[in-house]
Amino acid sequence: MRRLNTAMTGAIAAGFAVLIGCGAPQAGAPLAGADADGSAYLLAEEPDGAMGVIQAREAAHDGDPIVLVGRIGGATNPWVEGRAAFTLLDPSMLVVDESQGMGEGQLCTGDCCATERQACTTLVKVVDPQGQLVAVDARKLLGLKEADMVVVSGTAKKDELGNFQLLATGVHVRR
Amino acid sequence: MLGARLLPWDYGVRNLFRRPSRTTLTLGGMTIVVLLVLVVVGFIRGLERSLSATGSPDVVLVYALSSGADIENSSIPGSTASLLTASVEGVRSHHGVEAVSPELYLATRINAAGMAEPGMGLVRGVTTAAPLVRGQVQLVEGAWPGPGEVMVGRLAYSKIGARQEDLSIGQALSFDGADWTISGRFAAAGSAFESEVWAPLADLQTTLKRQDLSLVAVDMDSPGRVADVDLFCRERVDLELKAVAEADYYASLQKHYRPVRLLGWIVVALVAGSGVFAGLNTMYGAVVGRVRELATLQALGFRRRAILLTLVQEATLLACAGAILACLVGLLVVDGAAVRFTMGAFALRVDSVGIAIACGVAALLGVLGALPPAAKAMRLPVVEAIKSV
Repeated sequence: MRRLNTAMTGAIAAGFAVLIGCGAPQAGAPLAGADADGSAYLLAEEPDGAMGVIQAREAAHDGDPIVLVGRIGGATNPWVEGRAAFTLLDPSMLVVDESQGMGEGQLCTGDCCATERQACTTLVKVVDPQGQLVAVDARKLLGLKEADMVVVSGTAKKDELGNFQLLATGVHVRR
Repeated sequence: MLGARLLPWDYGVRNLFRRPSRTTLTLGGMTIVVLLVLVVVGFIRGLERSLSATGSPDVVLVYALSSGADIENSSIPGSTASLLTASVEGVRSHHGVEAVSPELYLATRINAAGMAEPGMGLVRGVTTAAPLVRGQVQLVEGAWPGPGEVMVGRLAYSKIGARQEDLSIGQALSFDGADWTISGRFAAAGSAFESEVWAPLADLQTTLKRQDLSLVAVDMDSPGRVADVDLFCRERVDLELKAVAEADYYASLQKHYRPVRLLGWIVVALVAGSGVFAGLNTMYGAVVGRVRELATLQALGFRRRAILLTLVQEATLLACAGAILACLVGLLVVDGAAVRFTMGAFALRVDSVGIAIACGVAALLGVLGALPPAAKAMRLPVVEAIKSV
């Protein structure tokens, strides 16, 4: 009887061990981070001649050196993950909640304001001296935050389809 | 020294066999409680797995900016796939073929042979590039669909409300005014694709009289490259596209099901709680009937603590046996059972987490269920207890 009892207890314990050990292990891979010196792109002094995004879309030509002023935002997620690029919103515009009525100079991040957003936002890409986009998140590289007012100097990139962006070489953050 | 005063281990085990009907009833009750816990945890785990297994970190979905978060509402030009291939670097290539999958995705009424009325199903128009991007998809039976043919996911029958045999190879399906023959059946590692019907893209476009796409799925050679597709969509605002990592897309869908999961865990707590009360009730009955026996043990010199331990041992052994029975039933019957939900269908999943929770609940039932009645019985004076009927 003792052997039977010991066997029964052992079977219960083994049963637990087998049942709990049925799952497969989960694997995860760490992401590699890139080191870059953000100070090379940060400007201590605000560059002169800054214009808003709306004006720049009208006035600038492809390849023109320009200085843009605006607020980081104008999209649900203004950042491009892992890249020194962000969406810049014209300083005259305000982003408000989708449920509110839109007034003059206001837009939301929903579908209803898609056309308006296109006219008053632009993509800013921070590029190195070789003209290559820096492959580090702008928040990490430059310490930027959403809704920061920034003045960006660089070169306009524009095509006949209405696509407009700024290849930035220097960023000044208004505090 | 403490060990010398304890009752023999065998005593508790033998007691279980001494009252076979009471033991069987208690065992049955505990098994049902643990099985209920296992089913609810299996539901939550199955739902979580279905959504998490669908999203791959390297795959990015490109669809219409104006479609909100719903791919079904998306409509993008048919040329988007070739445009992406030409414009974005880092697209994974398999033997010279780039892993870019143009797809048309829709929810529609599907009728199968044997169904009284059509059920709502999910149809995805794909090309042969789809398996390059959706690496978890495996053809388990039959062949890739040719013209006028479709292949069905492992759980598609559940989504459309048909019987499994209605969607076997060679059977006919009809949707959107066309008849299709089932050429194959596929599995997709528990992901949401398993509840879909896949048709050749060109055929589906012809049937629907559409030349557009719903989305393009692109497999990048590293998760870091997903940002390059996002960048392309932001640069080319004229195309009105947006790029979302597939893992993020399905993670956002998981948020919608958070209340369901929360409710599931509440049910687990309630079932476990009611199980403890049922166990308490049973153990009160069991202990009350053994008051004289327990008092005799005290009279023989065994300490109350030792008798209490034996009662806990009996209850815990019974609960653990119930847990093992429930887990076996769970693995044999519950595991893999299909459940339909808005986004498709998923299989109940009895995995290590569910089993660990079920066993934990069983141990709790054993210990908590036995302690109060045992403590109550031990409080009776020995002389009074021996005289009790």
